[in-house]
Amino acid sequence: MSSHLLSIIVGAPALAALIVIFLPENGKLAIRVTSLIAATISLIGSIVALRGYDKVAGGQQMVESYPLIPSLGVHLSFALDGWGGPLLLLTGVIIFAGVLASWTLKTRDKEYFALLLILVAGVFGVFVTQDLLVFFLFYEIAVLPMYLLIGIWGASHAVPRAGPFARAWDFFKVGDKQYAAMKLTLMLLVGSAAILVAIFALYLKAGVNSFDLGLLQKAKYDTDLQIILFPLLWLGFGSLAGVFPFHTWSPDGHASAPTAVSMLHAGVLMKLGAFGVMRVGMVLLPEGARFWVPVVGAVAAINVLYGAYCAMSQTDLKYIIAYSSVSHMGVVMLGAATLTPEGWNGAVFQMVAHGIMTGMFFALVGLVYERAHTRAVPKMGGFATVMPGVAAFFTLACMSSLGLPGTAGFVSEFLVFLGAWKAGHYLWAIPGVLGAFVTAIYVLKATRAIFWGPGPSHDFHDLSEAKGTEWAAPIVLGVCLLLFGLWPRVLLDHIDPGSGMYLNKVVKAPAPAPAVHLTSGASPLSLTGGNAP
Amino acid sequence: MNELRTLWVPLAVSGVAIVLLLVDVLSPPGASRRWLGWFVAAALAAIFAGTFLIDGSGTARGVFEGGPWTVAFQRLFLAGGVVAALGGVDDVARRTPLRIGEYWLAMLFSLAGMCLLPGARELVFLIVAFELMGVPLYVLAAYAKTDAPPGSDPAKKGLASEAALKMYLTGATSTAITLFGLALFTGMAGTTRLDVIGTAPLTPLGGLGLAFVLAGMGYKLGMVPFHMWVPDTYEGASTPFVAFLSVAPKAAGIAALSGIFLFGMGSHRAAWGPALGLLAVLSMAIGNLLALPQTDLRRLLGYSGIAQMGYLLVSVAANDAYSAGMTLFFLTAYLFTNMGAFLVLHAAAEASGSHGYDSLNGLAQRAPGLAASMMAFLLSLAGIPFVVGFWAKLYIFLAAWRAGLVGLVVAGIVLAVIGLFYYLKVLQAAYMTEPGALKKPEMGTGLRLAIGICVLAVVGLGLWPRPLVDGSLAAAKSLLDRPAAATTVNVVPASVRF
Repeated sequence: MSSHLLSIIVGAPALAALIVIFLPENGKLAIRVTSLIAATISLIGSIVALRGYDKVAGGQQMVESYPLIPSLGVHLSFALDGWGGPLLLLTGVIIFAGVLASWTLKTRDKEYFALLLILVAGVFGVFVTQDLLVFFLFYEIAVLPMYLLIGIWGASHAVPRAGPFARAWDFFKVGDKQYAAMKLTLMLLVGSAAILVAIFALYLKAGVNSFDLGLLQKAKYDTDLQIILFPLLWLGFGSLAGVFPFHTWSPDGHASAPTAVSMLHAGVLMKLGAFGVMRVGMVLLPEGARFWVPVVGAVAAINVLYGAYCAMSQTDLKYIIAYSSVSHMGVVMLGAATLTPEGWNGAVFQMVAHGIMTGMFFALVGLVYERAHTRAVPKMGGFATVMPGVAAFFTLACMSSLGLPGTAGFVSEFLVFLGAWKAGHYLWAIPGVLGAFVTAIYVLKATRAIFWGPGPSHDFHDLSEAKGTEWAAPIVLGVCLLLFGLWPRVLLDHIDPGSGMYLNKVVKAPAPAPAVHLTSGASPLSLTGGNAP
Repeated sequence: MNELRTLWVPLAVSGVAIVLLLVDVLSPPGASRRWLGWFVAAALAAIFAGTFLIDGSGTARGVFEGGPWTVAFQRLFLAGGVVAALGGVDDVARRTPLRIGEYWLAMLFSLAGMCLLPGARELVFLIVAFELMGVPLYVLAAYAKTDAPPGSDPAKKGLASEAALKMYLTGATSTAITLFGLALFTGMAGTTRLDVIGTAPLTPLGGLGLAFVLAGMGYKLGMVPFHMWVPDTYEGASTPFVAFLSVAPKAAGIAALSGIFLFGMGSHRAAWGPALGLLAVLSMAIGNLLALPQTDLRRLLGYSGIAQMGYLLVSVAANDAYSAGMTLFFLTAYLFTNMGAFLVLHAAAEASGSHGYDSLNGLAQRAPGLAASMMAFLLSLAGIPFVVGFWAKLYIFLAAWRAGLVGLVVAGIVLAVIGLFYYLKVLQAAYMTEPGALKKPEMGTGLRLAIGICVLAVVGLGLWPRPLVDGSLAAAKSLLDRPAAATTVNVVPASVRF
């Protein structure tokens, strides 16, 4: 089937970024409207792509391919697989909400929106590209604008410095500004360097003179090589997914970023890392993956617990949410490490669920911070009396965070722990469940401390309910959270054939084809029951 | 006649130089000579265009060989010359209003020498061309000695002389060392023809010759541990000239190195490959690490240039046609990128009176276009996608890996990440600081055009590298993939050899 839908989804933000660059500096509304139009096109495009994907046929659809560098075998090729639709939708929703959340930006709008759009074009590109080198290109495009976005519009210098990175920073006398932005960028680019080394090896050892992922999947790599390369991809991509102990950029980066950037970074960008580990690392290097999954899973379990534990001891609101992201991304990696259909479905579903939830968190935190002028949780209290709407949405996000049934977070965590149990990794499920329990403690504690109790103290003068475009992000994201929680089949019907397709390549003995379960409606995965008895 | 035709590019450049000399001498003393810079730019651009129309392939007496490889390098030098002429036209006229003609004359002669180098197939010819390129550069480095830039520290007044002297002393020493090495080659093979030298068995003295040539070339290219002059010279000489100095002679040096090592001594790679690899790692490591603490951006770009040479040497060490093509591609990318970076720095420094990080403070608000150009150049130097530097690094590392130099590639990638740190720091000054009292940089038409050309090349080739990649590969094939050279030259009997 030939269509240009995927090109449109990826191209719209890129084109809009170009237009924004040439708009006059004082055309504030024009810049915003252009960005919003592009975001809307991409969002609608992703919905159309999701609806248009033939779930029964599965596989790759809407294929487009244009030669980029034939001598190297690089093609700008897009295709939608089962995972692509939900992840495109996630990105579309987050950028739509993110543009609206940035509506009140005050300085240097032009550069801000241009960078935001370039970044999101990169994210869309990663999710649909079928060429390893182009995958890497889009990945870099998605990561790099972050440096400027956090450095210019964030509070990058206000981050407390600690650890080896801070000592290296001081040793080289590189100044005191933009610490967090630099830390984030450098750690992610070290990861990129590892990825690039692995890509070279994959390309040259395959001997097909092509970066096409489909062809590389068929290549036979030596077991030893796979065992060497897999950690490079796992830690390279994993640094973006917040894999312990390479997660330390994440709290600093998220805490210092402006609202919409935090939304995008925690909501979408971290998923690129996990997506890369699964799509490139595990699928291309099945033997390496099987060799390393015990470690991957164990580290992911540490992520879940350690992230939750750190979040519990924070008092800065943004740090709490940032550490909760570290914890929740651990759930994604845990699901990936199970190498079971349930685990992988849960991992991808968690990407979407956590993306939406954390995007909502950061949007709300931004609202609170703008009004309270502080992020110190102990100082707050009783805000719900003034901003009941914000309080309600925040509580909803909390419920999803702790995995309350009926919210998207429950579906994914349930699937992941089910997968871990089925794979026989009982030891992973325990810290995982424990992590969910600790999550309940810290999110409920934070909600109570901020919103409930007697009315706010007199130090807060500017508290008021959200208004205008500020509502957009919470409403859009909140609806998604409930929709995917109550009716997960919207996404799972897509994710499942995708997981099945890729898992067949990773697990030697073909797993019982999960697609059959779903179409017959008798699967344990279709939580809301099938359409057949 | 055919032999002259193969040499037409260097001849044309020399011809322009002679015309320029005559015009300069014959014009009345008080007349404005500002337009000479424009004349040079136009003439070089015309010759550049001519390389697409006139076929200069063939050999001249076996000492010079035209063909795709030579032409590719000549185009590179000519493009560098055009950008340098455009970028320097105002600066030269302002700093040394009475000596404009000589400046361009020296640059043209240097360019003529460069245009001879990639085709040189004979050692004496090669070293003469090398010196023709090098000597005018010493003059140019000292050119601004009496005219310190406005507002600069009076204690730094002698910097240009110091820069030139350092460059001259190391340059002269390196020439002597190179010559000595070449003499040993000649003794080994009994001829100065490069195509024959490679077929001779490598004697211990020939090996010593390799070491000498490598050291001599190392000085010229600024490889570690022969790099000391680079940052000092870059800091002292006038910035538009440094823009030229930092790329064109380096490319010429790589052309000479390729001629001697790839074309001539390719069969003895086992002897020089590891040494070159070691120098590459040292250059990448020292260049990137020492760039970190620099406070003067010219010195920073100097050290960054040393690191870039290290990446290039990885590719040269791979010693095959594919990697030679990628070397050429990298050089093209580096030429536009580095010249652009220096020219932006020049514009910013003129407005702020310093060359430190703070000279770029708030550039994004003072001059958004200039800041965006700087971002493109810095990202290209760092090797970030969608600007040409990414493809350059990708290709040379891929080529080197393909040739089995996995360790070098991994070292290169890791060190490139360190490099990112200081490139981002420069970007940070331009984008994340407030301009304070700094003014908007004022740029003449020439400088604008020069920066524009560089941006166009860096971004254009970044988006669409394919034609240049294919061209570079074809050029390298013409150098290296050929039937074994016919050994018709009389070889000295073995008994006479060392």
